[in-house]
Amino acid sequence: MRVYSASSDETLRARHLLTDWVGEGFLTKDQYQLLEKETVSELRTTNIYLRLVLFLFTLIIVGATAGLFYVVSRPSDQTAGVFFLIFAAVCYAAAEAAVSQARLYRYGIEEALAVCSVGFLCAGMQFALFSGNPYSPKPDAAQALVPAVGVAFSLWIWRRFGFSYAFLAAMIFVIFLPGYWTSSPSAQHLIVVGFYATGLAVVAAVRSRHRCDYLEEAYSLVEAFLWLGIYLAINLKLSSFDLPGQWWSGSRSASEFARPFYWGTWVLTWCLPPIVLARGLRQKDRFVIAAGAIVAILTFVSNKPYLGWPRHTWDPVLLGILLTSVAVFLRRWLARGPGGIRHGFTAARLSGKDKQWMNVGATVLGPLSPHSITPEPQTSSPDFRFGGGQTGGGGAGGDF
Amino acid sequence: MTILTRLEQWKEQGKISPEQHSHLAGLSRGEPFSLFLELNVLLYAGVLAFVAGLGWTVSTWSQQIGDVLVLTVLSTILASSFWYCFSRAPAWSPAETPAPSPIFDYVLYLGSLIWSLELGYIENRFHVLSGQLNLYLLATAGLFFFLAYRFDNRFVLSLGLSSLAGWFGLTISHWSAHQDAAYRQYALLYCLLVGVGGAILQRGGLKPHFFGTYLNVVANVLFWAVLSGVFNRDEYGLWVLALLVACGASLTWGLARRQFAFVAYAAVYGYVGVSSLFLRGVNDETGVLTYFAVSGVAMLVVLVWIGRRFGRRA
Repeated sequence: MRVYSASSDETLRARHLLTDWVGEGFLTKDQYQLLEKETVSELRTTNIYLRLVLFLFTLIIVGATAGLFYVVSRPSDQTAGVFFLIFAAVCYAAAEAAVSQARLYRYGIEEALAVCSVGFLCAGMQFALFSGNPYSPKPDAAQALVPAVGVAFSLWIWRRFGFSYAFLAAMIFVIFLPGYWTSSPSAQHLIVVGFYATGLAVVAAVRSRHRCDYLEEAYSLVEAFLWLGIYLAINLKLSSFDLPGQWWSGSRSASEFARPFYWGTWVLTWCLPPIVLARGLRQKDRFVIAAGAIVAILTFVSNKPYLGWPRHTWDPVLLGILLTSVAVFLRRWLARGPGGIRHGFTAARLSGKDKQWMNVGATVLGPLSPHSITPEPQTSSPDFRFGGGQTGGGGAGGDF
Repeated sequence: MTILTRLEQWKEQGKISPEQHSHLAGLSRGEPFSLFLELNVLLYAGVLAFVAGLGWTVSTWSQQIGDVLVLTVLSTILASSFWYCFSRAPAWSPAETPAPSPIFDYVLYLGSLIWSLELGYIENRFHVLSGQLNLYLLATAGLFFFLAYRFDNRFVLSLGLSSLAGWFGLTISHWSAHQDAAYRQYALLYCLLVGVGGAILQRGGLKPHFFGTYLNVVANVLFWAVLSGVFNRDEYGLWVLALLVACGASLTWGLARRQFAFVAYAAVYGYVGVSSLFLRGVNDETGVLTYFAVSGVAMLVVLVWIGRRFGRRA
């Protein structure tokens, strides 16, 4: 089913690991040169920057070409739908050809073509099949066909090409499905959770066969997406559209949900983080651990709005102290183990990639002003107000 | 063939030692599993949340809690942070120096952010500098550069560069004002100062690993400034020339040093600028879309050629 052979993927993975290991001094330069010859791949790869730029320009070409067809022929909606379906087929065929003929691998071009094929397919179906339908507030199950096809085709792209973001796209399409089947918000949340949970069960069953091979990381990322998706669907304070207003006023929008459902989801928001974290730690799975940490923080952050309690300006201070304390405690606890290792975990850096990420993060996130992530002051008196500064920087904006 | 099988083979062929095999096989299986990155992200998020909450609290409640308490709390945190850093730092070295402890970088970052918070508070409450916030920014930038070089800290270096940008009046909100030409000049001056300063420091062997940070900041500010000139209705010719020169320089540097971020900057910023020229006054949809289709193909061909010639995964 996959467009790349397992041996090609394994060879590329080995090549990346060799580069990492020689950078960390686990292999000598001579050894690296010797072993590198055994990991030559026929696939054509590029670096992340060119990959992004090639992705962008492929999107521009495809978008402009489709727009040109549309502008020149000025078709009716149905004809435009057929055009889009043809474009979807052409883009998909081009993506397949880019891989099978040009042997492109994460090169940006084949990725943009595959992404465009999903977009054109959904747009084409919508225009071709449902463009004449008058708007109705009642859910229409037939229209669910478009997101359903979006889910199926995105999953196909994910399986075929291995693009993790195609799986994420499938998860996003799932969000639109329940709206066509029921108008009950509670049922909509439950349906989304049901889909994600089913996906999680399937992925968990499949990935056990791929420990230590090239698919391990891909399944790990997908599992993390699913855990995050389940959590976001459960947490009514994060999946609500009127988020800022509710958070600020502290009022609950429990009215649209039955009380047992509302409080049931609140209990689940506290149950899920330890489950995700425990699974991530047991599997030694980086992405699932990260998902667990993110949902744990989101639970702390959304707890007060859930309970209808007012938020305080010092809440972030407490959260900051908690996060820092957990990090310092874990680091010290791990470092005190024999050889700096406890239960197979260490706080030491073992990969050059970590340092690379840290350097990029420090450059990009370093200037992030804390003031930019806090709301405006809650109360102000007319005779006393911070502000009027003309410039900002160094962590404090001009209107501080 | 999985990596574990390969390692086994390489050991049998004598290409790696048994010790290397056991170590690398362990790493491949995640034994031990490193939480280095996760713990660093937690520390960073913790410091940021703490300072954000502190700033929010101070700006909301300072009237009720009083200046003395606010300044006492901020000064205590500031003094403790800097005392921790100065007391634990190893002797200074111009080369890259590892942090003496895992939390060291974050304590310094905390101190730097608190410094900004406290200085901003003092200025807004007591107007010590009589509203001359630019002086405060310049002093802050100077302090951050000193701390970054003393303790080898990229977080604080980035803060220093952004404070200096603030001093030059580069706050993003100001771009929408009417003094675009003045801000462009300031931006160019900023690029010149930072670029030349970074190059001199690198040549002098002073923390040469910081040079990449300088160059990335300079490249982005420079391209934004030049592009804003290209978008001008009048007198844009010189800016177009400047854009072409900047693109050429960025491309050459990126290819020569295999730093492909600069190739990407040249491609994207250059394309935006040149496209704005070609499409100036063009209202015909067909013409615009044809331009994008044709120019996109041209860019793709050039980039694929660059990718094949230079750009294997870096």
